[in-house]
Amino acid sequence: MKEYAILGVISVCAAIFLDWGLQTNVLRRGEFYVFLIIILGFKLLVNGYLTGKNIVMYNPHFLLGQRIGSIPIEDFLFGFSMVTLTIVFWQTFKERPARRRPLP
Amino acid sequence: MLVLVIAGAVPFLLSFFPPLEIYRNAKALFYSISLILLLFGSWDVFAVWRSHWYFDTYSVWDFKIFNLPVEEVLFFVVIPFCCIFTWEAVLYIKSRII
Repeated sequence: MKEYAILGVISVCAAIFLDWGLQTNVLRRGEFYVFLIIILGFKLLVNGYLTGKNIVMYNPHFLLGQRIGSIPIEDFLFGFSMVTLTIVFWQTFKERPARRRPLP
Repeated sequence: MLVLVIAGAVPFLLSFFPPLEIYRNAKALFYSISLILLLFGSWDVFAVWRSHWYFDTYSVWDFKIFNLPVEEVLFFVVIPFCCIFTWEAVLYIKSRII
């Protein structure tokens, strides 16, 4: 079974769902896509190096087999949900108003 | 290990740039990174256990946490940090040009 591909799709759905559920709505913001393109650039560099040099190797049994350069496409699903959730969590915790202290 | 240090170094140094105020939200930073580490770290432990992927033993340190090389665990700290830094930088630049 293409387990990595399946997990990748589930994680992307979970990220989109949490962005909606936690009302962070980062996916609706233009800045998010600027951010995503910058991260994608670095991802291609680092992930490309790690897979190109065979520092990380994949079992083809669990992959769809499509690669962009040396990077399996599933890695893009993993990466997307990881960076999206990072920003969703960060926005959630950052925007939470400070707990009010009782007046003296 | 070297790749990880290089990837983390620049954003880490730049993160002290005052207007970004990332450390003002140190708790939010800590919680966000912890959650990512927990969620995606578990995924990684599962994936290595199922052998979806594996690491070249000569390229990583011997020290392991569960079945993951220490570099892989640190990856889940460094990358969210870089993401948050980049996101705040994008927001900051946008606020400056508008």
